Amino acid sequence: MMKFLVMMIFLIPLCFFYNMFWMVQMVIFFMAFMYMCLNMNLGIYSNLSYMFSCDMLSYGLILLTFWICVLMIMASEGLYSSGFYTNFFLINLIFLMVMLFLTFSVMNLFMFYLFFEISLIPTLLMIIGWGYQPERIQAGLYLLFYTLFVSLPLLMGIFYLYDLMGFIMMYFMKFFFFDSYLLYFCMVMAFLVKMPMYFVHMWLPKAHVEAPVSGSMILAGIMLKMGGYGLMRVMVLIQGIGLKLNIIWISISLLGGFYISLKCFVKLILSLLLLTSSVAHMSMVIGGIMTMNYWGYLGSYVLMIGHGLCSSGMFCLAYLNYERLGSRSLFIYLGMMSFLPSMSLWWFLLISSYMASPPSLNLMGEMSLIYWLVSWSWVSMFMLMMISFLSIGYWLYLYSYTQNGLYYLGVYWFYSGVSREYLLLILHWLPLNVMVVKMDILMIMF
Amino acid sequence: MYPSLNSNKMFFYFILFLSTLISISSNSWLGCWVGLEINLLSFIPLISNTNNMMSSEASLKYFLTQSIASINFLFFILLKLMWMKNFMLNNSISILINSSLLMKMGSTPFHFWFPNIIEGLSWFNSFILMSWQKIAPMILLSYYFYSKFIIIIIIMNSIIGAIGGLNQSSLRKIMAFSSINNLSWMLASLLISENLWIFYFMMYSFLIMILCLLFNSMNLFYINQLFFFNMNYGIKFLFLINFLSLGGLPPFLGFYSKWIIINFLIFNNFPMVCFFLIMMSLIILFFYIRIIYSSFLFNNLNLKWISIKLKNKQLFFYTLSSLISIFGIIFSTFFFM
Repeated sequence: MMKFLVMMIFLIPLCFFYNMFWMVQMVIFFMAFMYMCLNMNLGIYSNLSYMFSCDMLSYGLILLTFWICVLMIMASEGLYSSGFYTNFFLINLIFLMVMLFLTFSVMNLFMFYLFFEISLIPTLLMIIGWGYQPERIQAGLYLLFYTLFVSLPLLMGIFYLYDLMGFIMMYFMKFFFFDSYLLYFCMVMAFLVKMPMYFVHMWLPKAHVEAPVSGSMILAGIMLKMGGYGLMRVMVLIQGIGLKLNIIWISISLLGGFYISLKCFVKLILSLLLLTSSVAHMSMVIGGIMTMNYWGYLGSYVLMIGHGLCSSGMFCLAYLNYERLGSRSLFIYLGMMSFLPSMSLWWFLLISSYMASPPSLNLMGEMSLIYWLVSWSWVSMFMLMMISFLSIGYWLYLYSYTQNGLYYLGVYWFYSGVSREYLLLILHWLPLNVMVVKMDILMIMF
Repeated sequence: MYPSLNSNKMFFYFILFLSTLISISSNSWLGCWVGLEINLLSFIPLISNTNNMMSSEASLKYFLTQSIASINFLFFILLKLMWMKNFMLNNSISILINSSLLMKMGSTPFHFWFPNIIEGLSWFNSFILMSWQKIAPMILLSYYFYSKFIIIIIIMNSIIGAIGGLNQSSLRKIMAFSSINNLSWMLASLLISENLWIFYFMMYSFLIMILCLLFNSMNLFYINQLFFFNMNYGIKFLFLINFLSLGGLPPFLGFYSKWIIINFLIFNNFPMVCFFLIMMSLIILFFYIRIIYSSFLFNNLNLKWISIKLKNKQLFFYTLSSLISIFGIIFSTFFFM
């Protein structure tokens, strides 16, 4: 684990050189492959070095982090060609990547909190610095204060645990049992906001709409998963009280997921629709973690990985059309099949993965989630049914609205997709659908 | 950046620093009082400036409030001497003594002079007022305090500091209110141990020092000046780092001090105090972020005819201290591994 950390840190000087944009991307790419080929025993904590280690949960999410960071650099070629603080962008991105890597690989709960918070700052910089509209200030504040407002009680909770246990190593948490309501809320709320759960999701639309493409890719791809990862880690500690109280979060997120799927139909801005749908998908993830079952847990994990790749790919697509048309409104983005027929294929493939069509991680995740949520309580069947049905509904609606029909007549000029963009999309889609053939690395934990 | 180097002022700075040492190292309460009084009288010539109405007003106000506090302090220690035997504790007397000391340091129920006076000071003097001038009263407070009273004061300090600074546009007032808020952290650390107080105080003074000197070298006094100036992005970034650090966001040094304080507050069973402190530090963070918008936004309005340049030596100093502010937490955690 240390070698990747050192490799990333020594990547920072590379950013200062002239014209090293693609070099940095290639190095991170190489690192992602090195990480993939790492021989790990994923059932338990392995590759221990100092306070870093890696088990299955960390492994997948770290790999996702590397992968998304590569694709972020690839997607923000516009920054490179216009020279808009490119070096600073790269440094910021590498800093963010280091912090996410550390978040997923530390074993100490406090260190996890520390890096969890640190990763907020580069994200904030990315949104406020490289965003497009003046509203990005408000978006940044929403992001910062929503997360800080609940994560500071988490800090208190962690120190309280430290006081009681004498250490806060994640591995040993399963030997402890805490039964305090306040502690439960302290530990859980921060991650629920990060996920985000339905009632506390308001920071997400602001942040996503204003963020640059790289910012929304990392937000949808990794930052939301940090919440899920944290929940999975702390849920071990608070099992007993979780049995009593988890029903609250499950019902809120299932009902909220249904409601927000309805809201997806009336969104007129493409990126707004995407993130609203990711709230709906995340609600199922929350439900899966909160059932505290083996399959629910792993289904959530698989769905998180799948959603990370998929939503980041969708944000790329949304950005590609923004680059061409200068607008994110769905009114402008019509009949794209006549302009970009091959891009239309990628729209179809990514949307179908999002809809959990067969060879994708999303299908695997949703199947096990639905299975366990229904076995947890048959009442959740109705909401799950509605969520899945509506998700197919709005994705089909999005696809047919943007791809079919007459194009917008005010478009004066247009350029078709370049190979970088197709590469970007295939690198999102391929792992999403190929990882299914080796599902045991994601689905067998203990 | 530098204090004016005339020998008169140098003499008074010398007395200022020495008198604090007299106060915190004396054996009797009377000696403490003497130290405080010398301290007050040596700070007044430093802040008064005959050419500036604001600063002479500030020196007058400073004299009035501080001398009232000193008189009260003297009165109460004599009262304590007369009424109480040695080692006898009486809470009402301790509240009275504490109140006079709280007035000295500008803590909450008696804080109204503090933002007013700081409005008339130069940045260097406000740095002195926010950092060094707090040492003597806080050390004296640590000798003899009534902890329930101090807890109420801590909570009030954190709330007033956070709410008071919300709508200010003057940087000095914002720093003054943030200083009131940080006072609550210092008092909280004083509840636990003096070492912890020294730790927090050092960190706070370091961060305040960078900011005050940075503002001083650019002559910044109001928030809107930050947006007018045409600054190099590197200099803007220093603001960003140091304010986030002062606000206590994780990767920076300011978080380290807050982390330790929160840790010890939880260990010593002060969860409610801790909760107030961290929630109010969020509000503080909000108005810090208002200040650093100009450095967050890459594209913002700049007036081209006002341009700021720092001397190389100064820039080096600020960059170095900001680097400490960023990486300090990483290096300081090595001590505990």
